[in-house]
Parts: sequence; structure tokens; C-alpha cells
Amino acid sequence: MSYFFQLVISGIVVGSIYALSALGFVLIYKSSRVLNIAHGQIIASGCFITYALTVWAGIPIYISFLASMVITFFLAMSVERIFLRRLIGEPIISVIMVTIGLMSIIDGFIYLTPFGSENFSFPQFFPTEPIQFGDVSISWTQLVGVIITFVLIAAFSWFFKKSTVGISMRAVSDDQFASMSIGVSVPKVFGLAWATAGLTAAASGGIIGNITGLNFDVLHSFGITVFPVVILGGLDSILGAVVAGIIMGLIQQFASGYLDGNWGLYGTAEILPYIILLVILLFKPHGLFGTHEIERV
Amino acid sequence: MSANRWLATGNYYSSYKEEQRIFSTHSDRLIFTLFLLSLFIWPLFLDLSSKYMLVIDNILVAIIAVLGLNLLTGFAGLISIGHAAFVGVGAYTVASFSTVIGDNHVFLTHWWPLVILIAGLVGAVFGAFVGLPSFRLRHLYLLMATLSFQIIFQWAINFSSFFNQGQTIFVPRVYWLTGKVMRKEHYLFWYYVILVVIVLFGFGIRNLLRTRHGRCLVAVRDNDRAADAMGMHPGLTKVYAFALSGFLAGVAGALHAYLYRGVGFESFTLHHSIVYLAMAIVGGMGTLNGSFWGPAAIQILELQVENLAEKAGHLFPSNMNLATALRPLTFGLVIVLFLMFEPRGIANWWRIVRSYVKLWPFRY
Repeated sequence: MSYFFQLVISGIVVGSIYALSALGFVLIYKSSRVLNIAHGQIIASGCFITYALTVWAGIPIYISFLASMVITFFLAMSVERIFLRRLIGEPIISVIMVTIGLMSIIDGFIYLTPFGSENFSFPQFFPTEPIQFGDVSISWTQLVGVIITFVLIAAFSWFFKKSTVGISMRAVSDDQFASMSIGVSVPKVFGLAWATAGLTAAASGGIIGNITGLNFDVLHSFGITVFPVVILGGLDSILGAVVAGIIMGLIQQFASGYLDGNWGLYGTAEILPYIILLVILLFKPHGLFGTHEIERV
Repeated sequence: MSANRWLATGNYYSSYKEEQRIFSTHSDRLIFTLFLLSLFIWPLFLDLSSKYMLVIDNILVAIIAVLGLNLLTGFAGLISIGHAAFVGVGAYTVASFSTVIGDNHVFLTHWWPLVILIAGLVGAVFGAFVGLPSFRLRHLYLLMATLSFQIIFQWAINFSSFFNQGQTIFVPRVYWLTGKVMRKEHYLFWYYVILVVIVLFGFGIRNLLRTRHGRCLVAVRDNDRAADAMGMHPGLTKVYAFALSGFLAGVAGALHAYLYRGVGFESFTLHHSIVYLAMAIVGGMGTLNGSFWGPAAIQILELQVENLAEKAGHLFPSNMNLATALRPLTFGLVIVLFLMFEPRGIANWWRIVRSYVKLWPFRY
């Protein structure tokens, strides 16, 4: 039984990071209806920036964590400004293909840095002794990561519900022309959506880097797992992202805990999210909490 | 009906049937026939080394795959980032024949056209399956379905001993009328085979696009509600686009397997899917001749990148493989730049050149 609870704990840890990663994706989709295929790469670069600032530049972790968030904020904003701003009004299909191209470009840049070919790991910032609850244990890094994640998610939910900028973002997602007519600058909102997505990506990247180490392949597959999460949760729902993230984390942990090695199955944790993704697309395409697009002909 | 069908100076169409002609004048038809003929006879006069022959064969295989992708993304408006997986399905169909019945069985060596056809059909089945969500979904969610198919494909190959854990599975040399195709003529032989396949598919697709079924695809891409109102079934059309594209990809995969005489996992990764997409975009989405320009351009670009990486490799630390970094970088840049500055691709340049030559010495 303690094995079960251990899996639940690590599932929640992984899942909450999924939730934070998915949040950035949802932000961009919500405001501009763009599926940002490059989101995983932005997460990876956020992670590497945090590492470079902390270890190579020797800045204390809490400052570098915030600094990397600020850096990716402006990075993502400039990506939107350079590549996507001029595509406003083009068919959405070409915008999505631009993000596929961006994914490839960021991949290339990361392979140019040492992070593409070598593995690094953060130094331990917290006590290495795990916290014990009976037989179940959780490391300090994981605990702090989960706390930061939930604080950030709560902050963003508040930001969306209450702040003027958040409300204007929701307005743009609802109807671009109507929000333009009441004085919301749509391009500015798009830029801001990308920037905040970059910010959350850096946060989740930093946390993942601390928990799993910095291996580009791992981060890569982590970034792609965001897609099953957002589809499960519904593409435009923050609550959906959180719930689906935790569900996906639990499923992955149970799969690797109970299925791997039995019946000749290996690597099930990597593959189950995508099988779920296909099934969800077949039977419940709007996910758990996504808005149903009502079509009137 | 124009009076002169050899030298028309403009459009003289008087019926829809005339407008749908593939060749508007006899001169067009003649030039095209000569071009095709030259494609078939140039190897008689020019003896290329197998290195360059392989490059040409690669381009041709990619053309078949991109024809499929262009049908899906360009004409039916569904992005696929799992196209390499469909190509892989075709290749692994051949490979599984080779593991099940032994890699020197008559079926694989003598009946290879049938094997290639079966590989195409298997690709079509997988394509239709991945396209199934389109009964309930508007276009862009399908991107996710293709992505997950790509990942599931990679996993299935990597973790199953039947597929040799993604290591190379051998495919035999084939027999032709004159006996076994030996090493010396291998690439030339497959050049002709692939060329014939391309000509068949090229004409097939060109004709398909003139019929009800082809124009259905374009109608669903442009406005699926209007298409629905006009009596088409958008979901069914999308599934059928996926199946068709899967068929072409499967054939390309089988040809790839025979050409390389082996199937390995590393030719069908997500990176290759993006390369196929780059080919379709560079060539020109939604144009048939774009599917011929794109693969040629991208393959040549890839060779240049590899050369550059070899030359500049010593400037960088030895543990870094410059080619792995430069490849995604260039393909990503090519995709983004073409989408931003020339969304209609090389096919558009071709169109401009053509109309310039046609009207010369006059200007438009």
C-alpha cells in the first residue's frame, strides 16, 4: 500500500509541473487560437537559462529563477513580435506551421549550446534528507517545486479573473472584433499572452530541471507530453490544464510503477498519454473542461 | 475552341471541360512529353556515381511522400506532423514481411511490386485510423492526432523485439526480367522504378484533382460548412484524404526500404516529419508541382548543410555534432522564412518564370 501512496505522491509532483507547463500553452491558445507547437522547447530553454544563471554566473537560485522568468518573458514576446505579428490575419494553419518551424529552430539553437550534447544537474539547494510520512517520502526539492507551482497557478487564475489585462485577454479570446471596438489592442494582447506563456514556461522549466536534471531528450519528451495534457483538459481551460496535468502525472506514475516489466511492456509511461490523446480526440474532443464550439449553420 | 491548339495566345475556353484540361496547348503537351522522355533516357548518356544516384533516388522517394503530404496539408488543409511515421509504416510493412517469411523469400524478391502495393494499403489503413477523429473535430485538432501517432509509432518500433528494437532489418535484392538486380545497377534500377511510380501517381493525382473527389478536398479545406451544405461529407472527406496520403506515404516507405535494402528506425523520427513538412511548404502548399520542387530543394540544402558542418566542424568542441545542430536550425528557418515571405513556395516562382517565358518578348 505504501508503494501505491508513493506513486500517488510522485504522480502529483509530476502532474503539477505538467499543469504549470500546460498553463502557458493554454494562455496562447486562449487568446490567439494558436496551437504553440514550440512550447516544449521554450520550457527547455527556460530550464537551461536558469541553470546557466545559477551555476555558471553564480547567482543565487531564487534570484536566477525569477531572472530566467523575466528573460523568457521578453524572449517569448520578441518571438511573437518577430515571427507571428506579421502573420495576424493569415490563415491559422500557416501560423501553426510557423510554430512548428520555431520548434525546429529552438532545437537547433539548443544543440549549438553545451546543453544539447551533455547532461547537467543542479546542485542541491535543499536538505537532501527526504521528508517521511510513515513509509511515504517526498524530497524537499519536489515539495518546494509543487508549492511554487500551485502558487503560480493560483496567481495566474487570479490574474485572469480579476486584473484588467487578464480580462482584456479573455475578451480577445472571446471576440477579437468586439474587443477591438472597445479599445483593447489585440496585437498587444497577443504579445502579452506569449510573454506570460514564456514566463510560466521558464518557471516550469526551472522546477523540472531541479527535479529531473538537465537532459535535453528528457526535457524534449516532457515538452511534448504537454499536448496530451491540454487535450485532456480542454484546450482553453486553465482549470482543465491543472486537473488534466495531475491526472496525466498519476497515470504515468502508475503505468511505470505497475505495468513496466510485466507482460513484456516497457516505456508505457511515455506512450500512455498519447493513446489517451487519441481516445479523447475520438470520443470527447473538447476535453474535460474545454468549451464546446457550437456551430450554427 | 481556339482555332490553333499549338500556339494559343490567351485563354479561349468555351466550356468547363476545356478549362479543366491538363495541357492547354499541344505545345505544352509536347514539351512535357519531351521532358519525361529525357528523364528516362539521360542515364544512358551520363554515368553518375552511386553517391549521386542515391541522392537522386532519395529526392524521388521524398517526392512521393510529399505528394501525399501535400494532398493532405495543401489540398485538404490538415496539418500532419506525423508523416514520417506513415512512411515508416510502409517501410516496416516490408520489414515485417522480411522477418516473418525470411528475407530471401520469393514473395519479397520476385513479387516486390505487390509488396509495395500492400505497403501502400497498410499505410492507407493507418492513415484512415488516425484521421478518424475528423468525424467529430474541426481541422486543427487533428494535428495532435498525427503527433501522437508519430510518438506511438516510435515507441512501438523501439520497444518491440519483432521490429528488432529499431535496429536495421534487412530487405533482399529484387529480381527483374533480366535476373537479380546487382549492386552496380541497384540505384539505377530503383531510379527507373521510382520514376515510373511518380509518373503514375503524378498523373493520378492531377486527374483526381479534376474530379468530384479531388475538388471535394479543396472545398472542405476552404469552408467545410459550405461543403456540407453542398452535399459533401466533411468528416468522410478528411478521413479519405488521410487514407490517400497514408497510401502514398506507405508506397514511399516501401520504396525507401527496398532502396536502402534495410529498414531502421532512425529514418522515421519526428525530425523527418518536420523535414517533410518543410519540403511541402518550400515547394508550395496546394500546388502539384510544388511537391516536386520542395524535396529537390530541401535535399540539396541538406547536402550543403552537411558539407558546411564537415568543414566548420573543427571550429567547435569535439563532443558537439554540428550537423545535428544545423539541420533543425536550417529546416526551421526555411519553414518560417518561406511562410513569412513566400507562402506560395517555389511553385510560385515557377509560375512567374513560366508566364514570363510564355509571353516573351512581351511583358505582362
